[in-house]
Amino acid sequence: MIALQRLVKRYGRFTAVDDVSLEVAAGEIHGFLGPNGAGKTTTLRMIAGLLMPDAGTIVVNGHDLAKAPEAAKASLGFIPDRPFIYEKLTAGEFLRFHAGLYGVDGNGIGARVGEMLELFELARWEHELVESFSHGMKQRLVMSAAFLHRPQAVVVDEPMVGLDPRGARLIKNVFRRMASHGVAILMSTHTLEVAQDMCDRISIILKGKIIARGTVDELRALAGGADQHLTEVFLKLTGGGGLQEIDEIV
Amino acid sequence: MQAFPYLLVPHILSSRNRARRRQRGDLLRAWLFGGVGVMVFVSLLVGAYWLTWQVNDYAELGDYLLRLGLSWLFLTFLSFLAFSGVVTALSTFFLAEDLRLLLTAPVATRRLFHARFLRTVAQSSWMVVMFLAPVLVGVGLARCAGPMFYATALATLVPFVVIPVAAGTAATLLLVNIFPARRARDILMLMGLLFAATIVMLLRFIRPEQLLRVESLPDVTDFFTALQSPITPLLPSFWAGETLFASLQGGRDLLHAGALWTTAAMSVVLLRAANERWYFAGFSRSQEAPKARFTALRVLDRIGRALPLGVVRRNLLIKDLKIFLRDVSQWSQLLLLLALVLVYLYNFRVLDLERIPYMSGVIKNAYAFVNLGMAGFVMATVAVRFVFPGVSAEGRSFWIIRTAPISLRDFLWSKFWTGLVPVFVLTEGLTVVANEFLGIDPFLKAVAAAAIVFMSVALVGLATSLGARYPKFEADNPSQVAGSYGGVAFMIVAVAFIIVTIVLLGWPSSIYLMQQLRRSPFSVAQQMFIGGCFATFAVGSLATG
Repeated sequence: MIALQRLVKRYGRFTAVDDVSLEVAAGEIHGFLGPNGAGKTTTLRMIAGLLMPDAGTIVVNGHDLAKAPEAAKASLGFIPDRPFIYEKLTAGEFLRFHAGLYGVDGNGIGARVGEMLELFELARWEHELVESFSHGMKQRLVMSAAFLHRPQAVVVDEPMVGLDPRGARLIKNVFRRMASHGVAILMSTHTLEVAQDMCDRISIILKGKIIARGTVDELRALAGGADQHLTEVFLKLTGGGGLQEIDEIV
Repeated sequence: MQAFPYLLVPHILSSRNRARRRQRGDLLRAWLFGGVGVMVFVSLLVGAYWLTWQVNDYAELGDYLLRLGLSWLFLTFLSFLAFSGVVTALSTFFLAEDLRLLLTAPVATRRLFHARFLRTVAQSSWMVVMFLAPVLVGVGLARCAGPMFYATALATLVPFVVIPVAAGTAATLLLVNIFPARRARDILMLMGLLFAATIVMLLRFIRPEQLLRVESLPDVTDFFTALQSPITPLLPSFWAGETLFASLQGGRDLLHAGALWTTAAMSVVLLRAANERWYFAGFSRSQEAPKARFTALRVLDRIGRALPLGVVRRNLLIKDLKIFLRDVSQWSQLLLLLALVLVYLYNFRVLDLERIPYMSGVIKNAYAFVNLGMAGFVMATVAVRFVFPGVSAEGRSFWIIRTAPISLRDFLWSKFWTGLVPVFVLTEGLTVVANEFLGIDPFLKAVAAAAIVFMSVALVGLATSLGARYPKFEADNPSQVAGSYGGVAFMIVAVAFIIVTIVLLGWPSSIYLMQQLRRSPFSVAQQMFIGGCFATFAVGSLATG
């Protein structure tokens, strides 16, 4: 569903994404982990069509993003870390506009918008301006927009930031349900518990390169500790052991 | 897929929602400012009507003057529109936040282009259209033009604004693709210089010094010809002027109207093709983070320490100055302004006033007030662009000010003084030098110089307070803040203030000049009137500030 081949992105002399290849199959939730500045957001923004890669190909649902951008984007849902929403629109107006962008129109649109607002527990806010929403509500609204057009693949950058425990559980459930319906989900997160709970496979990126990939168990084995928590595995693989020592001293 | 106007839906709905959920006092303010707007509109209309009526008396020469006036008017706006197009396109095509939403959606580049270009044209040209509309209506009424003239005016304005805005958008597309990273600020700096160059070129096209040789020319045709640069007839401003002049005469100039429309259509087609080829590459580059390049500006710390200020005010002042100086897009626009001022002064330098008999004596001195008005407009423009957005420029970091134990008075104090000093120096210099070139009466020179002090306090104070009253923290750039509701309100109030100032100073000064001319002493009533006007102006200015 999502296939990256030898993806490269350079900012001047700095290579932010270096020869990254990745595949997310239908129905898979794939975690994309890495320390700050490792190249996660740059990779996701290239898949979403916001940045132009310097080399490599991105294929979404069989459509090459460079050659058929509209077809590729039509089958993709993108949830950015800092989403843009028109503040002076109501939740309902925003979703209807979003649906129109993806060619979802006609009589069924009202029902579909209601369905998504219900799913993300925003139904009673349908006619309220977005500017009055809390961060968590905005996050849920962006997610309902991303799933509105029934995408085959979804790219999510930090989905849990700003969500309360109830919201976080809701999102986890929605992602699992979507994946069970065949949607491929590529998710970047710093919340390692979420990755451990939800992801079928995980890729760890460091300094623009994928340094490890596999299931949580495979990554544990790679880090040399069969019963370790994913946090320890992550720190060992990305060279963040020093933090543990500081923790111990403190 | 929906047609391109669909992409404008959020803006239309947002405007509707804003109007529906207005806050207390919004309606009153809208009526108030709308009323002042109507007054400005009517003033322009009456002014244009009066001027056209006056030149009507000169038969053939009047026609030429009108034709020339139209051509010059459009030429001035041509450069303004091109520059405005560059700045607006940078925002609408590359920096607008909603692009992050639209570009992830399956929206064809062509659809996005049409929607964004329409927005760019509207945003860049509304001010020009609002100015030209009453002027053209005034001219039409004075010449008793039929409905065809107004239809022609409308049909002329559309391609006239499209051409320079398309050129400006093309320049932005090129610049964004040339720079290796997000260098919007550098681009703006370059644009400032480009605009300055355009102004100088414009000046050469117009050749104002030719005006002074009017009496030496064998006839008016030669006079008119002498004012035309060889390039001028190739500019859309000339075509627009000619089309409208022909329509005023009851005829049709299909050649120039055709040139306008075909050039506009061709500009859009070429721009669209270039956009399809280079837009995404440019947008992608514009998303890349800029490299931090800055200077420590330690001299400001030293100056701050030397000033007799409290800790809070000193630190706020240093912070405001450092942020301003490190923001290239801010001070590069001062270069542009400097170029405009130089051109303005150059006009006086090349004017050989002794050769114009009617520009001597009282009338020459009265021109000091035209100059004062001009300095006032420069002051208002600088204030709306640099002082008004001061509070909004705090943006998302405004929480630091609000949560710190400092008063808003201290905060606004810093904004006021960082605005007042440059605004005062610029406009005082402009006024003194221009009056010197004109050879104005010493009394009027002193009046003008003192007036600038009070006007600076009034307008900078007004810009600071209205900027704080109508902040726009979410704006992408200061231009957007300047163009907001509060910015427009400031400009309207500022223009009204300048007009009142001219009346309050011009009227008593005219009495002074008359008495000087007649060599008769001032009566007590006259002295009281003159003193009263000056005092009213001074007190009014300080109260406004």
